[in-house]
Amino acid sequence: MQLFFEQLLNGVAMGAIYSLITLGLALVYGVMRILHVAHAAVYTAGAYVGLYVFTMTGSLLLAVPAAMAACALLGTAIERLIYTPLLKYPPFVPLIGSIAVFLALEEIFRLVGGPYILSFPAEFPFPGITVRGVVISPAIISIYAVSAAVLLLLWFVVTKTELGLAMRATSQDREIAGAMGINSSFTISMTFVLGSAVAAVAGILVGIYFNQVYPTMGAVPAYKCLALIVVGGLGSLPGAVLASLLLGVGETLLIGYANIPLPRDSLAFIAMIAVLLWRPQGLLGNR
Amino acid sequence: MLLELRDLQVSYGDIHALEGVSLSVAEGELVSVIGANGAGKSSLLNCLMGIVPARGGSVTFQGKDVTSLPVHERARCGIRIVPERARVFPRLSVYENLLTGCYGIRNSVGLAGKLEWLYSLFPVLEERKSQLASTLSGGEQQMLAISRALIADPKLLLVDEVSMGLMPMLVDKVFEVLSMLNRDHGLTILLVEQNALASLGISSRSYVLETGRIVLEGPSGELLENPRVREAYLGL
Repeated sequence: MQLFFEQLLNGVAMGAIYSLITLGLALVYGVMRILHVAHAAVYTAGAYVGLYVFTMTGSLLLAVPAAMAACALLGTAIERLIYTPLLKYPPFVPLIGSIAVFLALEEIFRLVGGPYILSFPAEFPFPGITVRGVVISPAIISIYAVSAAVLLLLWFVVTKTELGLAMRATSQDREIAGAMGINSSFTISMTFVLGSAVAAVAGILVGIYFNQVYPTMGAVPAYKCLALIVVGGLGSLPGAVLASLLLGVGETLLIGYANIPLPRDSLAFIAMIAVLLWRPQGLLGNR
Repeated sequence: MLLELRDLQVSYGDIHALEGVSLSVAEGELVSVIGANGAGKSSLLNCLMGIVPARGGSVTFQGKDVTSLPVHERARCGIRIVPERARVFPRLSVYENLLTGCYGIRNSVGLAGKLEWLYSLFPVLEERKSQLASTLSGGEQQMLAISRALIADPKLLLVDEVSMGLMPMLVDKVFEVLSMLNRDHGLTILLVEQNALASLGISSRSYVLETGRIVLEGPSGELLENPRVREAYLGL
């Protein structure tokens, strides 16, 4: 039973990290109708910048904001330089552009960071806790606390602020949003800032949790999180979070208990196929 | 003149929707543009708003050339639109839809007072303020679209086919409101309509648009007597 609870806690932690990455994709899909594959490279960049600043200063409190700022910049650069000019073409053109940016950034990480796994030796300044024999590590506690804070903040921005109103209006009818005085290109850039900064947090959390930062760490999340926004319902933020949490728990428990002969990463795609077959609008999608 | 269009042209690919339209609206006027389906009425308003780019010609608003201004900056100048089929934001609540109308100017328009006024104009919106706009009926969506435009205190209100798909009783009510806004609040309105009788009835001047060109213009009372208008648009 202890093992089960530890697995469950790990699963929810993985799900929380997935949701941080997937939310960025869902936000971008909402305002731009683009599948932002390169988002996973932004996440990797977050891990690298976080690691470098941490190595130089020894402080996570500096590393996290620095990585968030760098990723916000990288995300908006991708939007301005690649996506916006390609928007006038059919949707597969920006998608190909996105994959190209993703691969190019992976190569840049390889050139700059080296073709090997770097460790992220961050220590948390508090101990783990043990509840009835279930060990909760400081890393897990941090993942829970940070993801909860980020999710809460995102929820607040999207539902309670003028920027959030502009984002939702733009995603529902860009032309009419403009006719209401909403600057849609500014709103889209701000969406990239938000999503990319959150991806940076996810990158650092993963780097510390697995103690690994490497050039292709975004390869699996890139496609897995695309599957997740489909499962959640394209553009639906609650759906993205729900699908991410379910996948995190499902992966961990299935691999831990059921002896299925499939790699753990296949589960997301099986879920996507199932959803497309039986509920094409996604778990919480509309229409 | 508050608004002046000179030789405005709009095309979608090879299809010409507007082939050189010139018209003007003075401050405080209620002007209507009548025409059949496909005459270019919506293209005219969308181009004026900046949603659709002009291929040629110019739009002057308050003496300033706004032809190359993007849509959100024209909105900031005080031009607001009630779009064809309302186009409310379906997954925002009624209240949030109203907030989009005064995006960025919430404090300067006096939101609380504006809401009170709009709710007294259309009480149903207050009853449904926390419902999603997609759950409203067609008529209620039109009232929401009108309120969303009015909340910004526009200098010029563009109204696109507001009567389409509404019950006759509701059409009367909506036109009455537009007429009242013009008469009592001095609001300048440019209306495009298929419903020629109703729009000639409330406007002081009108234009007749046929296949992208203005073919007739004049005081609405005179157009009501014009044999060509009577035959083609009033079915008399």
